[in-house]
Amino acid sequence: MSRRQHKPRARGAPVTTVVVLRLYIVGGAPNSVQAIANLEAICREYLKDGHKLEVVDVLEHPRRALADGVLVTPSLAKLSPLPAANVVGNLSDKAKVLLALGLKGKVQ
Amino acid sequence: MRLKNLPLRLAKGGPEQQAIEAGEIDAIIDHASSNVILLPAARRALQEAAHEASKANSLLAALPPAEHQRLLAGLEPVTLKFGEVLQEPGVPIRYVYFPVDCAISLVTTIEGPEVGLVGYEGAVGISLALGVDVSSVRALVQATGTAMRMTAAHFDKTFHQCPALQRELYRYADAKLAMARQIVACNCFHAVEARLARWLLMTSDRVRSEEFFLTQAFLAEMLGVRRATVNEAAGPLQRRKLITYTHGRIRIVDRKGLEATACGCYTRIALNAPLRRSSSASPGLASSP
Ligand SMILES: [Zn+2]
Repeated sequence: MSRRQHKPRARGAPVTTVVVLRLYIVGGAPNSVQAIANLEAICREYLKDGHKLEVVDVLEHPRRALADGVLVTPSLAKLSPLPAANVVGNLSDKAKVLLALGLKGKVQ
Repeated sequence: MRLKNLPLRLAKGGPEQQAIEAGEIDAIIDHASSNVILLPAARRALQEAAHEASKANSLLAALPPAEHQRLLAGLEPVTLKFGEVLQEPGVPIRYVYFPVDCAISLVTTIEGPEVGLVGYEGAVGISLALGVDVSSVRALVQATGTAMRMTAAHFDKTFHQCPALQRELYRYADAKLAMARQIVACNCFHAVEARLARWLLMTSDRVRSEEFFLTQAFLAEMLGVRRATVNEAAGPLQRRKLITYTHGRIRIVDRKGLEATACGCYTRIALNAPLRRSSSASPGLASSP
């Protein structure tokens, strides 16, 4: 069911769905530091170059956090591909993050 | 935790609340008051980091612990980005900045060449200490980095209670004035190549790195010359393998060589000049290279 949107491609061409992520943090705060490290490790392992990650410091950009409806930090938003998903906390629960990213099938 | 007092709209038992209870949250964004509320552990961590960072500014580091502590209450760390304008001539000063690892250029007008460069050895906005609350210069962030910032109002209130800070700032103000005189004279009399070398060394000292980012346009502005002239001056420095300059990234490869190329103004505006007690003679232009 999660593979519905596969388009037919030329053989050998890589399937590249760019995952767009936004992580809301407080720079230098312990859970935020952990969340960044955890997310970067997951991206390296599962998404390689197929992702875009924007890190938003809510102390520097409080209006953005308010406008985007962020309630707590750290908070990870998957913006694309749909469906959008959210994970809050320091992202140490890898399975939960992968589920939100739509990568659950890839967990060993 | 003391979350009961907070005007939150977090669902009971929802993921946010669970994460808070698990200690995985740093801050709550309170949409009712439009505030970011730091949780205690995060607040403590940031305060400790601020305390550490502030020691990297020479003026703050020179203060006795009690005074340092008193000032810290009014200081907040901020990231200053390349190109950001902190002050404009004729405009009231809103903040005093104590750079930690950024560099700030002072220029007289929008187009004018530089008259000062401030890094971790100094502060921007110290006219306030001299009783002047309007800036006489434009303060432009030249290298991205952190600074500790205090509001003008808080500074006014605290400055009179901090004798050590007064001493530091008066001494620094004098050094800054000497620097401005030296740079103005340098801009008039010394060759662009020597000035460029001087300027790269000064920047490197203040950002505490042999590598930093600079656009050609910015360099031209700081030196008060045209872009083509910057190229003409930077070319020989590159060919002699003193620096590399690619895509705006400058790397000092041979510091000794660059020092030998720089005009004598570099050593006269030595980084530690502000920290030197009143022993040395004031810098002059008597012996040009
Ligand atoms: Zn000179």
